[in-house]
Amino acid sequence: MKKILIFLGIIFIAGSTYAKIDLVSLPERDKVQLTIYNSADLTLVRESRTLTMKKGENKLQFSWANTLIDPTSLELFPLKETDKISVTDLFFPPRITGLGVWNIVSQISGKVPCEINYFTSGISWQAYYLATLSQDEKTMKLEGYVKVTNRSGEDYENAQVRLIVGKINLLDRIADLARRYPPYGRPFEPKPLPPSEKRGEVFAAKAMMMEAVDRAVIKEIEKEGLSEYFLYTIEGTETIPDGWTKRLLSFSQDNIPVINFYKYDESRFGKNVVRFISFKNAKSHLLGKEPLPDGLIKVFKIIDKNERLSYIGQDNTKYIPIDQVVELNLGPVQDVKIEPKLMEVKTLNYQFNAPGRNISGWDEEQTYTVKVSNYRPIPAKIEITRKFPHQYWTIENKGDYGVFEKLEKDTVRYTMELAPNTTKQFSYKVTLRWGDRQE
Amino acid sequence: MLRLNKGGIVKKILIFTAIAGIFLSASISIARTKLVALPERADVVIRLDNPNYTLVEEERILTLQKGTNQVDFSWTGVSIDPDSIRVKIISHPEEVKVISVSYPPEENSLVWQIYSPQPYEEKIRISYLLKNIDRLITYKAIANKDETNAILQSFLILRNFSGEDFSMAKILLDYGETFEKSVSHEETKQMLLFTKQNIQIEKKLTFDARKLPWDPEKVTGNVGIPVTYEIKNEKKSGLGDFALWGGKARVFQDDGKGSTIFLGEDNASFTPPGEKCSLYIGDSRDIVVTQRKIKEIKINIRKNADNQIILYDTDEIIKAEIENFKDAPVMLTLIQNIPGEWDMEETSHQYEKEDANTLKFNVNLKPKAKETVTFHYHRRNVR
Repeated sequence: MKKILIFLGIIFIAGSTYAKIDLVSLPERDKVQLTIYNSADLTLVRESRTLTMKKGENKLQFSWANTLIDPTSLELFPLKETDKISVTDLFFPPRITGLGVWNIVSQISGKVPCEINYFTSGISWQAYYLATLSQDEKTMKLEGYVKVTNRSGEDYENAQVRLIVGKINLLDRIADLARRYPPYGRPFEPKPLPPSEKRGEVFAAKAMMMEAVDRAVIKEIEKEGLSEYFLYTIEGTETIPDGWTKRLLSFSQDNIPVINFYKYDESRFGKNVVRFISFKNAKSHLLGKEPLPDGLIKVFKIIDKNERLSYIGQDNTKYIPIDQVVELNLGPVQDVKIEPKLMEVKTLNYQFNAPGRNISGWDEEQTYTVKVSNYRPIPAKIEITRKFPHQYWTIENKGDYGVFEKLEKDTVRYTMELAPNTTKQFSYKVTLRWGDRQE
Repeated sequence: MLRLNKGGIVKKILIFTAIAGIFLSASISIARTKLVALPERADVVIRLDNPNYTLVEEERILTLQKGTNQVDFSWTGVSIDPDSIRVKIISHPEEVKVISVSYPPEENSLVWQIYSPQPYEEKIRISYLLKNIDRLITYKAIANKDETNAILQSFLILRNFSGEDFSMAKILLDYGETFEKSVSHEETKQMLLFTKQNIQIEKKLTFDARKLPWDPEKVTGNVGIPVTYEIKNEKKSGLGDFALWGGKARVFQDDGKGSTIFLGEDNASFTPPGEKCSLYIGDSRDIVVTQRKIKEIKINIRKNADNQIILYDTDEIIKAEIENFKDAPVMLTLIQNIPGEWDMEETSHQYEKEDANTLKFNVNLKPKAKETVTFHYHRRNVR
């Protein structure tokens, strides 16, 4: 449904204020480009229309009732004859919602290609992924999709669609600006916003338009970095009627090497072992052509030669820059177990304020054994994080503890590889100094 | 009181003149009954140089009789600050005098007694502060692809909800163009104040350790590094002649293919000449900072007779790992805070002291490189 209407007229009334205009033409869109953001409900619309100008004063009426256009973003400029056409002002007439009028002074008469730009809310896009692990869980196939949904109230036919990956700063929600009347508010008195319009019309007739799209060739999505953002340009044009969603394949890559990875960190996950799959968004992992936008990833696994699937879990990924390591959190598991056990407690080196008075300091030795079991038929990487109550400690590690690292003043980490169906054990003795023993 | 003139304009501010003497009753109040003339507005100026008050100046031609004339100025449905109303005699200031000003009870009006030695067509200028009419300033910048300079446009938005229609009024700020426009009651009008090409911009990325999470691993979602554009109000950029009013600024970037993308928006602050305006446009998620305190112990402990610690120093080390995932060099500013009294022991990078407790490290990151900033300090005389 077309809700954005444009009328061009000449003013016959010499009256100095706004007067109702006589309509001359209703120019169609020649071209339309949508730049859709995913971090905010915002789309930059740039449309080209050919306007027929008369010499002298012209008024161009732009109305957008029942759409979600931000009137404060409206902009009009000629693409040709720029020195002969001047847009003198844009005004929003009294007591009329969803209408703006441009005053244009033209030194020429005839057809002039113009561009009209504005922001709309209601069009969104979202990335999502389907990951399929190989049977040995050493590699993965990753398919990235983008899903574009139009709930803007306006149909966009044959639009060039561009998607922005990035986090922009916005002062006002575009949907609020779209609903605000008057467009820039009132002086000195903030007015409450009218409730959002109920919209939920179904356009069954548009199904034809959707079916008509040639799906024989999968469209390419061109990607490039701009400022701190990434711009995806979908090949050709798309028709996205109001209310519809389109899904497009962004990329598909097989044989991505992955690491099966298990974490134990009581401060983050309690007493659970949490499974992760890790890979790098890099050329070495057959990726790294573009950052991966944040989105839901569903992870499956091939379980037999007929490529039957089993569903493993899902995670919301963060935005992954090129060359960053991705860790997908697939939730707690039972088939890898990590059990730290406090085996011995000892206190020693007591200090007293003065003979016969209170205790002022002591040491506490805690000895833990940690049993790490991999019940899976594939190798696993293990990461164990231990946190102490404060920073006054020393540690002694014993046994098969892998790589030890002091992460923070009160945090240490052990990393190790575990072969299929094996169990390892190591122990550590931490000496905590309390009171005056910290001096 | 509502009158429509030929052009369909709603006039709520009315002015009438009458010859006094006839109408002056013996009572203390002034009778204002018969109209002699309804002078038209000649020249109207809407002055918007004060962001909180709008001054309207209008010139009118009064047909004055010889003797004392009564000029009635009234307004209904509009809000005028009565104490702000001033009148200036223009044609014969030496001869024509305002004798008195009276405010009738419970009416939005006032009465001037104007003495004229002869019948004159007298031009006067009335000025007053009108409420519910104001302006907003907005900006639009289009940065080039390299983000080194930009085209800057500024718009004046007049919001007239005063109750009054203005016909061909001069609308002006303290800089930029003067617009001669008609503005109806409840109309909002956007006008281009200026366009400046080649405005120099400086792009900055800042990790402020006082505000942003230190460990991105513990955060759901990305920790974005705020990106700001700095624009200086200076001659070099075709500016620098006047202080720029604050307002919403929307920043775009040329995509190099004939189109633009929207980078973000921020409120520009009031910027006097020579000063910088900083616009926070969005976040970079290709720079990742992981900051950890790897040491924090008490040293030089002093105790009282009850063996309680009363004074101590600390020994602290902070390590910030910065990863640049971009294939371009980046300058990142790290803001760090050390409370109270302190001495720096050792740092991996040079820093500037912003104030007693704020340190600023400017770190140049090579493309795709990792850099670690470490600083070791003692806080002194902690109680």
